[in-house]
Amino acid sequence: MSIILLIAVPLLAAFISIIFKKIATYLLVAVGIFNLVVLFIAPMGVITIGGFTPPIGISLLFDTYSQFSLVLINALIIIIALLNCKSFNKYSGILLLAMASLNGLLLTNDLFNLFVFLEIAGIAAYLITTSNKKPLKTFHYLILGAVGSSLFLFGVVILYSMFGTLNMVDMIIKINNTNNYDQLILPFTLMFIGLGVEAKLLPFNSWVKGVLGKSNTLSGPMIASVYAAAMSFVLGRYITNLFMFEGNLLLVVTVLLSLGILIGEAMAFQSTKARKILLFSSVAQASIIALLFVNGVVIWAVYYIIAAALSKLVLFLVINKATKEVGNDNLDNLQGLFSNNILVGLTFTLATLSVMGMPLLVGFVIKLNFLTQLAAASQIWLVVIILVASVVEGIYFVRMLVKLWYKGKEQINVKYHISFKIVFVLVAAVLLVLGTYKAPLDNYDSTIDTVSQEVINNG
Amino acid sequence: MIQYASIILFVFGLYGLLTNRNVIKMIISLNIMEVGLFIFIISIGFNYDGVAPIITSNGAGLIYVDPLPQALVLTAIVIGVGTTALALSIAKSIYKKYGTFDLDEMEGER
Amino acid sequence: MKNILGLALALILGIFIILSLDSSASFPEFGTVDVNDRVSAEYLDQDNIDDVGSANIVTAIVVGYRGFDTLGEVTVLFISALGVALIFGSKGQKRLDLKFKPNFMLKTGSKIIFGIILVTSLYIILHGHLTPGGGFPGGAMIASAILLLYLADDKFRSNIKSFKILEGIAGSLFVVIGLLGLIFATYFLQNFIPQGTVGELLSAGIIPIIYILVGLKVGSEISGIIDNFLTEEESA
Repeated sequence: MSIILLIAVPLLAAFISIIFKKIATYLLVAVGIFNLVVLFIAPMGVITIGGFTPPIGISLLFDTYSQFSLVLINALIIIIALLNCKSFNKYSGILLLAMASLNGLLLTNDLFNLFVFLEIAGIAAYLITTSNKKPLKTFHYLILGAVGSSLFLFGVVILYSMFGTLNMVDMIIKINNTNNYDQLILPFTLMFIGLGVEAKLLPFNSWVKGVLGKSNTLSGPMIASVYAAAMSFVLGRYITNLFMFEGNLLLVVTVLLSLGILIGEAMAFQSTKARKILLFSSVAQASIIALLFVNGVVIWAVYYIIAAALSKLVLFLVINKATKEVGNDNLDNLQGLFSNNILVGLTFTLATLSVMGMPLLVGFVIKLNFLTQLAAASQIWLVVIILVASVVEGIYFVRMLVKLWYKGKEQINVKYHISFKIVFVLVAAVLLVLGTYKAPLDNYDSTIDTVSQEVINNG
Repeated sequence: MIQYASIILFVFGLYGLLTNRNVIKMIISLNIMEVGLFIFIISIGFNYDGVAPIITSNGAGLIYVDPLPQALVLTAIVIGVGTTALALSIAKSIYKKYGTFDLDEMEGER
Repeated sequence: MKNILGLALALILGIFIILSLDSSASFPEFGTVDVNDRVSAEYLDQDNIDDVGSANIVTAIVVGYRGFDTLGEVTVLFISALGVALIFGSKGQKRLDLKFKPNFMLKTGSKIIFGIILVTSLYIILHGHLTPGGGFPGGAMIASAILLLYLADDKFRSNIKSFKILEGIAGSLFVVIGLLGLIFATYFLQNFIPQGTVGELLSAGIIPIIYILVGLKVGSEISGIIDNFLTEEESA
């Protein structure tokens, strides 16, 4: 069982699904489950493709970090596909390709190959957003995404012409051997912008508002939860291993990311639409995650990504389903949503409290730990910024919860299918259990996404 | 020096993308930008003394141009074609919805 | 105002790129690239030619050394063809009318040229491992032949369903060949059949097979995209 199957089998299934359209959904679920099995039995290390030893050929890199991310991504895609199998069955083929490309993004050990998968994942994302029926917003997303990946390619090509290799491990070795840092600023900036577009970092995230502000039960969780998590993981891998932010570049990146947090929370604070609140809060989260990676607080960033992806899954599913039935997502019109849906309301509340970082939930453990680590690294300003952001976040989430729980003038009745409820309860249980029983979280430390010395020596 | 011309082309495309308000013109700008990038990629493999990288029986001692950028650009071109086709089809559905390609003339959606 | 801002942004980026490249010590000057500093030296080494067995090194890289990229590349075209079909929908489609009435000469002439283009594209696909060309240009030529028929005949409508099936089969076979490499050899996409002599038509192992599949797939995908663009909903 080689980890390459994680990319090859979804691709094969996608090619088959175009001939037999009827079985596409079943294929998607079967392939997803197959992937989860492979993830636990495949051997780790550098996996060669085509029999050419790296750096000559393309290779994959499978370690604990990619295992974490891949389990999350594949599980989430299966869940989202199952929940939407009735209303969006035309999108099964695209979800298969999204699965293959996100797996490729997280596994590949080759910079140009990363660009190829970035494009496939991007096109799949544009197509998923066409389900919003807002072609102009999708177009905006496509243009920004295409510019971003062009800039990424530009950076990769400049690195190739300087160091003569495309293999990531090889590149890391060669970059560590040079002592001229100034010449690396250009390729790193270009590549960071390229990844930043998809990872929703300021100021390249103007597409998010149009896409997520009009999202449905397919595109909302896919873009806000799955894609956000995958891109954060990729960004984390490259920030830790390849990009070395130093001097002025570090200052610029830190300021941009801090601004991203503050502006995101401020925009969420003044929104009155439920989907806007959620999307601006996820923009702020993306910046926090990138900031943690830049400062080397890797393992808590990883847990933060996972917790954020799980809670965003619940939040977007609840709100988008309600929006579809009510007709719009003004908080005033959604008032009293949970008075008839106690169970959904409870899980939604748990998910928001976890995002805010309330005790007993996993969000609290994560926030406490990364703030301590940042303080220990004497990054007091960042601690202050994140704390201020958390307070603002607390205010608007509580405001939203109050609206959603208390009955308004009009009775609204939103029916959640039993499958939705099962997912909500499962996610809430995970958030609660990991919040109280935190021993498993301590098994890993912040070297998790560093490409290990062993791999560098053999690769 | 001459390869910086391709960067100027890239910048032209970016400028067009930032200032045009017409969907079709934006797609054309995107393509101009990509072409600039492709020329740049080809240029980083060029050598004045180099020959095309096809091995022949009497090829010993020849200097070849770098074949890898050529292979990369082949992939990048095909990817660009895919993106453009998708962008054009989205443009067609924009036209169907609003009856215009001009972003300023579209009502209600800003 | 917006124009000036855009101009300033583009200019700053351009100047930043050019100045950084110009001052960089590792970035080689134009025309003086030394392949031996790069990984490409391995591809060009005469001793390594049996690795892939293709005389055309660009093909050797595209399909052999970096064959996985090509699989991704084919997938990009596949997903955009899928997306175009999804956006336009497939029910109740009819041809767009041409603005002129094609005459007899045009219709007959285009059919003759169609054959010539098709044969040439097949030649290009089959000789991809020997000469410049290969699956992508060849596939695009097949699609251009189909486009010619669409433009020269206002009644012509290709059988889109069979194109979809061809596309699916060609793509699946590409992955299956990769998986066979995993089974019969050790790695995904590894060559598992005899390579033959470099320079002959039947050589280079799986490269010609992959290029034929790529050619068929690219041809059918682009033809599908063309058909989608040249049709509209019945009511409109």
